Amino acid sequence: MRSTWRDGDRVREVELTPLAEGRYRVAVDGAEFELSAEPLGEGRFRLTRDGVATLVEVGAAGERRFVRLGALDFVLARERAGSGRSRDGAAGGGLEAPMPGVVTRVMVAPGDAVVKGQPLLAIEAMKMEHVIRAPWPGRVKAVLTKPGEMVNGGVPLVELEAGAASPA
Amino acid sequence: MRIAATLREMGIAPVAVYSEADREALHVLGVPEALPIGPADPRSSYLDADAIIAAARRAGAEAIHPGYGFLAENAAFAAAVEAAGLTFIGPSPEQVRALGDKRAARALAVKAGVPVVPGAEGKDAAALIKAAKTMGFPVMVKAALGGGGKGMRVVSAAEGLAEAIESAARLAGSAFGDPSVYLEKRLERARHVEVQVLGDGQGAAIHLFERECSLQRRHQKVIEESPAPGLSEALRERLTFAAVAIAAVARYRGAGTVEFLLGPDGAFYFLEMNTRLQVEHPVTELTTGLDLVRLQLEVAATGRLPLAQDQVTHAGHAIEARLYAEDAARGFLPQAGTITRARWPRRPFVRVDAGVESGSGVPVHYDPILAKIVAHGADRAEALGRLTAALDDTVLQGVVSNLPFLRALARSREVAQGRYDTEWIEREFLGGFAALAQAPAPELALAAAALAEMAPGAPAADAEAGAAVQPSAFQTVGRWRLPGLG
Repeated sequence: MRSTWRDGDRVREVELTPLAEGRYRVAVDGAEFELSAEPLGEGRFRLTRDGVATLVEVGAAGERRFVRLGALDFVLARERAGSGRSRDGAAGGGLEAPMPGVVTRVMVAPGDAVVKGQPLLAIEAMKMEHVIRAPWPGRVKAVLTKPGEMVNGGVPLVELEAGAASPA
Repeated sequence: MRIAATLREMGIAPVAVYSEADREALHVLGVPEALPIGPADPRSSYLDADAIIAAARRAGAEAIHPGYGFLAENAAFAAAVEAAGLTFIGPSPEQVRALGDKRAARALAVKAGVPVVPGAEGKDAAALIKAAKTMGFPVMVKAALGGGGKGMRVVSAAEGLAEAIESAARLAGSAFGDPSVYLEKRLERARHVEVQVLGDGQGAAIHLFERECSLQRRHQKVIEESPAPGLSEALRERLTFAAVAIAAVARYRGAGTVEFLLGPDGAFYFLEMNTRLQVEHPVTELTTGLDLVRLQLEVAATGRLPLAQDQVTHAGHAIEARLYAEDAARGFLPQAGTITRARWPRRPFVRVDAGVESGSGVPVHYDPILAKIVAHGADRAEALGRLTAALDDTVLQGVVSNLPFLRALARSREVAQGRYDTEWIEREFLGGFAALAQAPAPELALAAAALAEMAPGAPAADAEAGAAVQPSAFQTVGRWRLPGLG
């Protein structure tokens, strides 16, 4: 099974091939290793790699996966084909809510030309206002929210087409 | 819950109050009797004095404990409780009002002979700017009625001052109902040390030693401990003496906290006095063996101090970490959602005061504190070792928290050595932490996530359901800031 994950700013690929008796061949971004996995229920596994056993605990919240590895925690997000949520911003051009909150202001409309760094909209959460700015110059293709709307983290808010200048 | 725990030990029946959104909250399910006081919006429930007093009457209660938040430092609420013939567990309404005005509080400290941070008050911006030039930069602009670090601005040169005063005044006006601001000289590399006091309301007061709360981000505390590391016995005596003097001059009633800034040269200055139980009170409870809620109730009931200064002793060291729903690696952005899994440390010498459990919603609109994890040891190293292990044991999934940040802090060399000041985290620690947090996840973590997708009934299948049960932020009110009798 292949799956794609967002890990902070990176996109990572995992391929899992079942062998026999709880053993798997794993490729992470092309690096291969073998692993045996003992399921312990409720998202818990004992993973053994090169003779070293580690207890892991995986919990899901939407597309996010909370992975506890020993006493370390990681948050990964499942990327699905065609979800339009590619982190490779220029491709989808979607700007997402960085946190759950209430949209307080929308400063642009579809068709507007924007410069890099221009405020697009503001979200308030826990009495803090967070302004979302254009990461590159371009044109607003769509505004997917309105003031007063409650949004979850990761939800696309604005679609921004790259303008003359390169989005890089 | 914290307060109800003590009431039940004392044979007093607690009655909690709750908003519509908190019907299933821990503080409501944990007590035999709880009364609804209104809808989720706190203005019509937890901030509605009439609704709370009416609930107290319905329950036949004799007293109201205001908790830590919402109305805990609200003079009008304290006055309304007393006018209703009920006992307010805390200082008198006049004391709440006087100490809530930072300028009046500074005047009180001066009267008690305690140094205050050099500063300036004035009606108009021009006078403040002139005073700042005399005093020297950098200065801090603070709201007269502010607190908890809200609305504070640091200004490093004369150019930005007029604008900072105007913006702080506007914020103070909307947040605290009074646009008055004042200036304080900014002390470089200062530590935040506070003293727990208890007064009888007639001019007698004692102290329960100090707490060190210098580990802060955005002027808000993350790790607190008692005693303060590196404090000489002589300095401890002078600090506690000053705190008691302020409480005595104020004729303070009940439990309060006198906050000081401690310069690298050992000079200290009065900062402000908090007229309620503090979030960090457990470190004092663990080192003195005294239940602060019980002391509050005893003072309220008898008007006398339940013990003399020489009966207060301290043993060992206690250290507390505040678990917040915030992303420390990305500017401490607050997080919300549903906690899918919470497991608290179970080990000797560790206390956990938690406001959430598996399945709890974390709301958008309030201080996102989830739990306090507190460890006690014979000395600082033992306490810190126990805290570190307890943080490692803690499991919290479903909402991003500052748990990795707390673990890294607890392991840092400066924290181990007790060498930090109130700006150390942002100045020296945060950059390295953020870099570490943004490093790629290990291959094993990715393998585990992928493996869980394949398991029967695993996250892939549950993902939709998980999204569906996530409550609207508007329907969930914080469980932490317990008002009323909870």
